[in-house]
Amino acid sequence: MKARFFWIAIGLASLAAVPFVLSQGLVNAAIPMLIAALFACAYNLLCGQAGMLSFGHSAYFGVGAFSTIHAMNALGGAGLLPTPLMPLAGAAGGLVFGAIAGWFATQRSGTYFAMITLAIAELIHALAPHLKGVFGGEAGLSSMRMPAWGFTFGTTNEVYYLTLVWVALCLALLYLITRTPLGRLALGVRENSHRLSFLGYEVHRINVLIFAISGMFSGVAGALQVVSNEAANYVVFDPSLSAAVVLNTYIGGVNVFLGPALGAALMTFFGYAVSDLTQSWLLYQGLLFVLVMMFMPTGLSGLAVLAIAAAKRHGIRAVAPAAALYLAAFASLTAAIVFLAELLGRVFSQDYKALSQAAGSGELPPVLLFGWSWSPAGMLTWLVPLALMVLGIVCWRTAGGSLRRQADAAVSNTVAAAVTAERRPA
Amino acid sequence: MTQPILSLHDLKKSFGATEIIRGVSLSLMPDERHAIIGPNGAGKSTLFHLISGNIRPNSGEILLDGRSIVGKTPQAINRLGLARSFQITNIFPRLTVYENIRLAVMRAHGLQYCFWRFVNANRKVKQQSDQLLELVRLHPRAATIAGEMSYSEQRSLEIAMTLASDPKVILLDEPMAGMSKEETAYTTSLIKEVTAGRALLIVEHDMEVVFSLGDRISVLVYGQLIATGTPDEIRRNADVKEAYLGEEVAA
Repeated sequence: MKARFFWIAIGLASLAAVPFVLSQGLVNAAIPMLIAALFACAYNLLCGQAGMLSFGHSAYFGVGAFSTIHAMNALGGAGLLPTPLMPLAGAAGGLVFGAIAGWFATQRSGTYFAMITLAIAELIHALAPHLKGVFGGEAGLSSMRMPAWGFTFGTTNEVYYLTLVWVALCLALLYLITRTPLGRLALGVRENSHRLSFLGYEVHRINVLIFAISGMFSGVAGALQVVSNEAANYVVFDPSLSAAVVLNTYIGGVNVFLGPALGAALMTFFGYAVSDLTQSWLLYQGLLFVLVMMFMPTGLSGLAVLAIAAAKRHGIRAVAPAAALYLAAFASLTAAIVFLAELLGRVFSQDYKALSQAAGSGELPPVLLFGWSWSPAGMLTWLVPLALMVLGIVCWRTAGGSLRRQADAAVSNTVAAAVTAERRPA
Repeated sequence: MTQPILSLHDLKKSFGATEIIRGVSLSLMPDERHAIIGPNGAGKSTLFHLISGNIRPNSGEILLDGRSIVGKTPQAINRLGLARSFQITNIFPRLTVYENIRLAVMRAHGLQYCFWRFVNANRKVKQQSDQLLELVRLHPRAATIAGEMSYSEQRSLEIAMTLASDPKVILLDEPMAGMSKEETAYTTSLIKEVTAGRALLIVEHDMEVVFSLGDRISVLVYGQLIATGTPDEIRRNADVKEAYLGEEVAA
C-alpha cells in the first residue's frame, strides 16, 4: 500500500513538473493526452469493469463538451460557473444524457447493447449539424475562458494545470468507485448478471447507474477539451472518437485500473508525434491494435504485469536478457514494417507516378527515404527490410527459448530442493 | 396447524403446444425438507424456474408466505425470502470465492446502489461473509478464483450464496449432480446442517440422498405429481414403483 502511494506521488510530481521541463508545444500536446486518459478510464468503468462494450461513447463526451460551451457562454458570456468549475457542467450533461441513453441501451446486453449505443451516437452525430441553436451547425460554437480565482487562464500552463487537477481528481474518484459496493457489483454484472438477479439485485438499475457514472466522467473529459480549445463543433460526436476510446482502452489493457489511461495517453502522443511525420500513421495505429489483440489481449498493462511477475519469480538479472532480446525483436520488426510501408506508400503515390512518367517509360526513379535514396529495383532496397525481419524473428525465438530454459531450471531447482529436504532427516 | 410457507395450486406451463407442467399442487411447511424426484424430462427444473420467477406459468397460483408471487421478477421473489441454486453451477467464475459470497451477502444489507461508502468498511457484511465461508468450510479458499476450484467446492459455494439472503425457502436444483460418493455424503450432511429451521425444496437424482434428506417426497411424472408422502410411503407406493422407481427399490 505504501509503495503504491509512493508511485502515485512520483507520477503526480512528474506530471506537475511537465511545464517546467518540456517545451510549450509538448505541454500543449500533453493536455489532450490527459483528457484522452480520463475518457478511456471513464469508458473502462463500463466496458472493462461492468463488461458492457459501448460503441458510441463519443456521445457522452460530446454532450459534456456542448454543456460546457453553453455554460461558458451563459449570462452574456460571463459564464454560469467560474472557469475552474466549468467541468461540472460537462459532468451534469454527461450524467443526465448517460442516464437516459443508458436506460434504453441496458435493456439488452452483448451485441444488442453495442448496437443500441452505436445507434444513439449516430443519431446525435447526424442530428447535431442541423440543430444550429444547440450545436452551432457545422461551424460549431466558440467561447472564451474567463479569468477566475486570480488566474487569467490565458496561458497554456494554466490550462495544463487545470486539466491535470481535474483528471487526477476524476481518476481518483473512478478508482474509489471500484472499492464501493456498486463497483464490486459492476464486476458481478460482467461475470454473471443472471445470477445477480437471483440474488435479489435489480440488475437493470445497477446497469443504468454504472452507465450514467461512466457518461458523467466522459462528460468531464469533453468539458476539459472545450475549456482547452474554447470551441466545440459536431465533430466531437464523430464515430472515430468512439472507436478511438475502444482501441485506446484495449491497447492499454482493461484489467489494470490505469491501463486504459496509459493506452490513451500513449496513442494520443503517438498520433501527435507520428501524424506529422507520415500519412500512414492510422495504418500503424490499426496494426498496433491488431497485434495487441492477437498477441497480448491483456494490453500493454497486462504485459507489464507479466514482466514484473517474471522478474519477481526469476530475478531481474535472469529475465533481463530475454527482455532485451524481445525489445530488439520488436524494434527490428517495427523497422522492417515501417520501411516497407513507407517505401510502398511512396512508390504507389500519385507524385511518384508523375515522376516516373516524367523519367520516361520503364524508368523507376529512386525514392528518398530516411535520408537515403533507394531504387525500387535495387537489391539493397529489399534486402534491408528482409534482413531486419530475419533479425527480429531470430531475436524473438532466442528470447522465447531463454525464457523456457529459465522456467525449466526453476522447476528442476524446486524438485532438487524437495529431494534434498526429503533426504535430510535420513 | 401451521400454514405452508410455499404452496402451488394447479400450476400449468406449456411451451407452444407442449405441456410441460400439467397442474401441479404442492405445499411446503416452514421447516420441512421436501424432495422432488422424477424421470428425466418430467419438468422438475421447469417447476423450479416457475417458482423462482425465471419463467411465468400459464395458469395457477404460487403463494409464498400467503402472498401471490406469480408474475414477480426473480429479484423481487428473492427479496421476499426465496433463494435458489441452479442445476448448472451458476457463480461468478472469475472473481474470488470471498467476492462471490460478498456479492450475495451485500444485497440483504441494502447495498445495491451504494457508491459513497467503501465495501471493506462494512463490518457486518464482512462478518456474515466469513461466517458463511466457515459454514460451508471454504474459509481456506477465500482468495481462490471461484472458477478454479473443484466441482464440489463450487457447489458448496453456490449453496452458501443461496443462504446469504437468509431465505425462508431454499430451492436446490440437483446439488449433487456430478459428485463422487464421498462428496455427495459430505454435501448431504452440509445441506442438512445449513437448512435447519428453513423450508427446503430439492430436486435430486441420487435416491440415497433423497430418502435420507427428505421429510416428504413428491414424485413428478410428465408434469403431474403422482404421489406425495413420507419416504416410507413413497417406497411402498405401487404407482411410483411402476412409473419411476421400477426395479431399483423393489430389489
